[in-house]
Amino acid sequence: MPAVPSLDTSRRTVLRAAGAGAVLLASAGCKSAVDENTNPAGGGSSGTPKRGGTLQIGSMVDFTPALLFTQNSFSVLSRLVFNTLTAYDRNLVPQPQLAKSWQVAPDGTSVTFQLRENVRFHSGRPFTSEDVVFAINNLKEAKRSAQLRATAAVVSDFTVTSPTELTLRLAHPVSNLFDLFEFMIITDRETVEEAVTGKKLIGTGPFVFKTWTPGASLSFSRNPEYFVPERPYFDGVEVRIFPQAESLLSALRSKQIQLASGLSGRDIAPIKSDNQFAIQEFDTGGGATYVGVNVSVPPLQDKRIRQAISYAINRRRIVEQAFGGYGFASSAPWPKSSPAYSEATAKRYPYDPARAKALLAEAGATSLDLPLGFLSTAPAVGQMVQFDLEQIGIKTTLEPMEPAQFQTRLIGQTLPALWTGQHGFAQVHPSTLAVSAYPFNEAKNSSKFSDPGYTEIVQRAWRQVDPNGPVAKAAYQDLSEVLLDQQFVIDLVVLANLHATTSNLQGVAQNEFSALDLDNAYLA
Amino acid sequence: MATEVLTPLPVAAPKTRRVHNRYLRGLLTPRGVTGLTLVGVILLAGLAAPLLTSHDPNFQSAAALAGPGSDGHVWGTDDLGRDLLSRILYGIRTDLLVVLAAVPIGLAIGCSLALLAITHRVADVAVQRLFDLLQSFPGLILGLTITAIMGPGKVTIITVIALVEIPAFGRLLRGAILLHREREYAVAARVGGAGPLRLLTRHVLPNAADPVVVQIAVSMSIAVILEGAMSFIGIGVRPPDPSLGGILASSRPYLEDHFTYALGPLVVITALVVGLNLIAEALNRGARR
Amino acid sequence: MTKYLLRRLPSAFGVLLLASFVIFLILRAVPGDPAEQLAGNDPSQEAVDAIRRNLGLDRPLLAQYGTWLADLVRGDLGTSYMIGGSVSDLLGQRLGNTLELTAGSLVFSLTLGLALGIAGVTVKNRFGQTLLSAINSVSLIVPPYVSGFLLVFVFAIAWPVLPAGGHVSVFDDPQIGFQYLLMPALVLALPSAAVLARYVKDGLQQALGEDYARTAKSLGVAPRRILWRHALPNALPPVLTVLGMQIGVLIGGAVIIEAVFAWPGLGLLAEQAVTERDYPVIQAVLLFLVAVFVVVQLLTDLAYALIDPRVRLG
Repeated sequence: MPAVPSLDTSRRTVLRAAGAGAVLLASAGCKSAVDENTNPAGGGSSGTPKRGGTLQIGSMVDFTPALLFTQNSFSVLSRLVFNTLTAYDRNLVPQPQLAKSWQVAPDGTSVTFQLRENVRFHSGRPFTSEDVVFAINNLKEAKRSAQLRATAAVVSDFTVTSPTELTLRLAHPVSNLFDLFEFMIITDRETVEEAVTGKKLIGTGPFVFKTWTPGASLSFSRNPEYFVPERPYFDGVEVRIFPQAESLLSALRSKQIQLASGLSGRDIAPIKSDNQFAIQEFDTGGGATYVGVNVSVPPLQDKRIRQAISYAINRRRIVEQAFGGYGFASSAPWPKSSPAYSEATAKRYPYDPARAKALLAEAGATSLDLPLGFLSTAPAVGQMVQFDLEQIGIKTTLEPMEPAQFQTRLIGQTLPALWTGQHGFAQVHPSTLAVSAYPFNEAKNSSKFSDPGYTEIVQRAWRQVDPNGPVAKAAYQDLSEVLLDQQFVIDLVVLANLHATTSNLQGVAQNEFSALDLDNAYLA
Repeated sequence: MATEVLTPLPVAAPKTRRVHNRYLRGLLTPRGVTGLTLVGVILLAGLAAPLLTSHDPNFQSAAALAGPGSDGHVWGTDDLGRDLLSRILYGIRTDLLVVLAAVPIGLAIGCSLALLAITHRVADVAVQRLFDLLQSFPGLILGLTITAIMGPGKVTIITVIALVEIPAFGRLLRGAILLHREREYAVAARVGGAGPLRLLTRHVLPNAADPVVVQIAVSMSIAVILEGAMSFIGIGVRPPDPSLGGILASSRPYLEDHFTYALGPLVVITALVVGLNLIAEALNRGARR
Repeated sequence: MTKYLLRRLPSAFGVLLLASFVIFLILRAVPGDPAEQLAGNDPSQEAVDAIRRNLGLDRPLLAQYGTWLADLVRGDLGTSYMIGGSVSDLLGQRLGNTLELTAGSLVFSLTLGLALGIAGVTVKNRFGQTLLSAINSVSLIVPPYVSGFLLVFVFAIAWPVLPAGGHVSVFDDPQIGFQYLLMPALVLALPSAAVLARYVKDGLQQALGEDYARTAKSLGVAPRRILWRHALPNALPPVLTVLGMQIGVLIGGAVIIEAVFAWPGLGLLAEQAVTERDYPVIQAVLLFLVAVFVVVQLLTDLAYALIDPRVRLG
C-alpha cells in the first residue's frame, strides 16, 4: 500500500536509484514520505465534485470490533460500511435513510416504517424488515453494551407487514426514539458474530469493508450499488492508524493523508493558520468535560459547596489552555444544537471566586481537603481545577487513574470526592443524557446522587410523545434547571470534535454520534 | 571506556588499605572532575531552587506558552502558564528524590540477595531464577505493569527503578564474590584458618565491592533515564509535581513553536546522565589502578 | 554438549513456568478488568456482568490459569478481547514490525560500529581520538527519547524531510517504508553501535599487534591493506557474536522507541493491552519477552560452554 498516491512512472527509476541505499531521499525526483503530494484526482476548480481517487485518512485510535455497536472513539467506520434507519438534520429532525417514511401513532406507543426498496447488503442479500427486527433485538442484548439500550428495550413487539414495512410497538412513549434510529447501525444479521471480532463487516453503506490490520490500517472500496445514486465519489478509503498526535499531524502536513481524525485543539495549533489545511469543528460528538462530585463524601452533600466549586473554576482558561481554544465554556452539558441549550444555562456559573468564597462561608465549610481524581492520559484539566479550587481555599490532592481504573470506579460508584472526566450523549434529545450517560443516570450514577424530584423530571422528559413539542421542551428546561441547581455534575466545557483536513477535501460530514459520513466527500 | 562501565570487570589486585584514596584518585582525573561538576551544578541548582527563582512552580496563569524572557519568566512558561525555570529547578529535586530513594533500595536488596545466594546452592538457584525473571522484562514494560497495579506516582517509580536495579547489583556482587573467593589470597587466608564469615567480610567483600560502587553511579543514570521514559509514556510523577521527564513529555505537542519548552529538560537530563556516567568511568579507572 | 543442554533445559522451562504463573497472577491483581473496558463508554452493570460471563472471567482464578496453560501447551494463545482475532496472529504481526525495526537498527549498529571502531585505530591525532571517544560515550548513554526528540525536531520539524513517526512496512513499499524506519532505527542503534565500536577497536588493535601484521608492515605492505585485508577479517568474528547478543537488548530497547515514534510493534502492543486490560494479549507478550530472554541466555551459556569446557563439566 503506497503511503503516497503517486504516479508509477517516476517510481521505478527511483527504486533503481534507491538500490545504492539512498539516504538522501530529500533529493529531487524521489518519492518522499514527507513531500507534499499533488492530489491524485489532479487539479480542478473547487466546487465541482470530482469523482474517483482514494481518500487517505489518519486516525489516532484503532478500530475495536467489540465496540461496534457502541459510540466509541473510533468514529471512522460505522457510517462508511453501515447505514441507519433515519438521520437527523442539524435541527434534530429525522430524515430518510434506510427508512423511506414513517408514521408515529398519536399516543406515541407505536411507529410504522416503510423501508427503501432494492437495497442490498454488500454480500448481495436484500435488506428487509427482518434486518430491522434483528438490529433492535441485537441492541437489547447487554453484551453489546450499546449506550441506547434503555431506549431499544422500550420496543416491546414487532409486526412485520411486508419485507419493506414493519411496525414497532413501544412499552411507553419516549422522546428520544429517533435518537435510537440515528444511533443504530443496520448490520447483516447472518454475520454479526464475525462483525464483533472484526472478521467480516457487512452493511449497506457507501463503502465495502476490505481488510483490517490491527494497529496499522483498514481499507474500504466503493460500493457500486449504493442506494444513493452517483455516490460516493471516492473509489476507496484507506485508514492508517497513528497512535500519536505529532505523527498524525506530520502525516497530514506532508499530505500523505487528507483527513486526520482524533486530534485535539492543542495538537492542531501548528496548522491553525495555514490555508493549505482546513479545520472542521463540530460541537456535537466531542462530549463535555466535567467535574464530578461524590455527594456521599461530607460536606459535599451540601449543594452550596458544589455550586461554589462551579463558580471557582475558570472555564475559559480551560478552553484556551487545555483544548487549544476549541469548544466553548459552559456550565450546562448541552451543545448549541440541543433543544435544551440556552445561553443563560451555559453562562449560569461565571468565573467568580469571590462568590464562591461567600458560598463556602455560608455553608460553613473551612479547610476542605479533598481527593481529586483525573484520567492520567489527560492531566491538564485536573491540574487546572486543582489550582482554581486552591484559590478559594479548597485544597485537593490529585489522584491519577488509568482509563481502565477510571472506568471500573465510574461503574462501581467508587470514585473519590471529586474527579474530572468526560461524558457524551448531550448532543441529541436531552432525555438520552439522563437515561444513557452514566454520570447522569437517575437510577444509579457515579455521584451517588439520588433525588425523587430528579427522577420525576428525567422520566417526564423521557416519556414524551412529541420530542420537539412544548411539553417536552418545558421538561428539558426543568431537567437543565435541576442539573444546574444540584451540580452533582459540574460541566466545564462542551468539547469540539475536530476534523483536520487538507483544504481541497470537500463535503465531509458526521452524524450526531460523530460517525464520519463521506457520501458527498471529494477532493477538489 | 563507557563499555567497561556497563560491564565493570572485577578488579584483579587485592586490596590495600587506602581504599578511599583509590576512588578519590579516579575522581580527580579530568573525566571525574567534569562528571562531578556536571552533577554537582545540577544538584546545587535543585537544592537552591527557592533561592534561584521567586516563582512558585505550580502557580498557573493565563500566559501559557510564553517565550523566554517574557513577563519576568526567565525561561518562559509551560502549557498551563507555569514558570518553566522554576518547574525545571523543582523538577530536579523530584528526580533526585526518586533516584536517591530507589538506588539505595535496589542496592540493599540486590546485595542482600547476592549474599544469600552464596550461602547455599538451593538459595543460589532460587535467587538466580528471581533475577532472571526480573531481568526478562524490559524496564518500561515492568513499569507499565507495576503502574497498572499501584497507580502512577513517585512510590511506583521508585519501586520500578529498584526492581530494575536489584538484579543488576545482585548479579554483579554474586559474580565478584565467587571470583574473589577462588583467588589465591582468599585461598591462602582459608588455608591460614580464617572462618568463612571472616574470609568474606575481611578479604572477599572489600575487593568484590569495587564493581558495585561503580554500578551505583551507573544505576543513578539509569534511574534518571527510566523516570523520563515512564513520564514519556504517561506513567510518571503525579501532577502537579514537576519532574524532568514530565516537563519533557508535556512539551511534546509544542516542539514546533516552542522548542525552548523541551530544550530545558533535554539539556538537564543529558547533562545529568553524562555526568553520572563520567563519574562511573572515573571510579572504574580509579579502582583498576 | 547435548548433555549440558539437557541439564540447562529444565531450569529454562522452570523460569518460563514461574513467569507464566507470576504474569497471570499479577494481571489479576491489577484493578479494572477487561469486561468493563469492553462495555464501552457509560455502560450498565448488567452489560459488564454479561460480558464477564461471556469471557469466562467469573470462573475461579486457578481454573482460568489452568485453561490458559493447557491452551498454551497446545499452541493456542487465545483471542484478544479488545482487538479481536487470534493473539498469535496479532503477536506475529507486531513482532514482525519490531523485528523490522530491530533489523534496521542492526544494520545501522554494524555500520556505525565498524566505522567508529576502524576510525579508532586509524585516527592518530589527539583531538580526533578525544572526539571519537566523546561520540562513543554520548551515543552509548544519551537516553533514546532525548536523541529521538532531537532527531524529530531537526528532520521532521525544522527541516521536514522525514516523517515524525508512524509505520509503513518496508515490504509493502520499500521506498516510503525506509523513510519511516530511518529515525527510529538510528536512535535504537546508537547504544549498541558504541558497544560494537569498542569491540571492533579492541579486536583491530589486537590483530594489528600480531606477528603477521607486524611482518607485513616491515615488508612494506600498505597499512590500509593490512587493516582491510588482514586485521579486519580477524577482528570480525567476536564482533559478530556481540552483535548477536545485542539482538535481545535491541528488542527490549524497542519499547521506548516505539512509543516515541508511534511504531506499532510489540512494545506499543503491550502498552495498549495493559491499558485495556486485554489479558490474553498482555500474557502472551510478556511471556514471549521472557522466552526471548531465556533463549538468549541459554545461547550465551552454550557459547561459553563451547569455549570453556569447565563450564560444561562444572
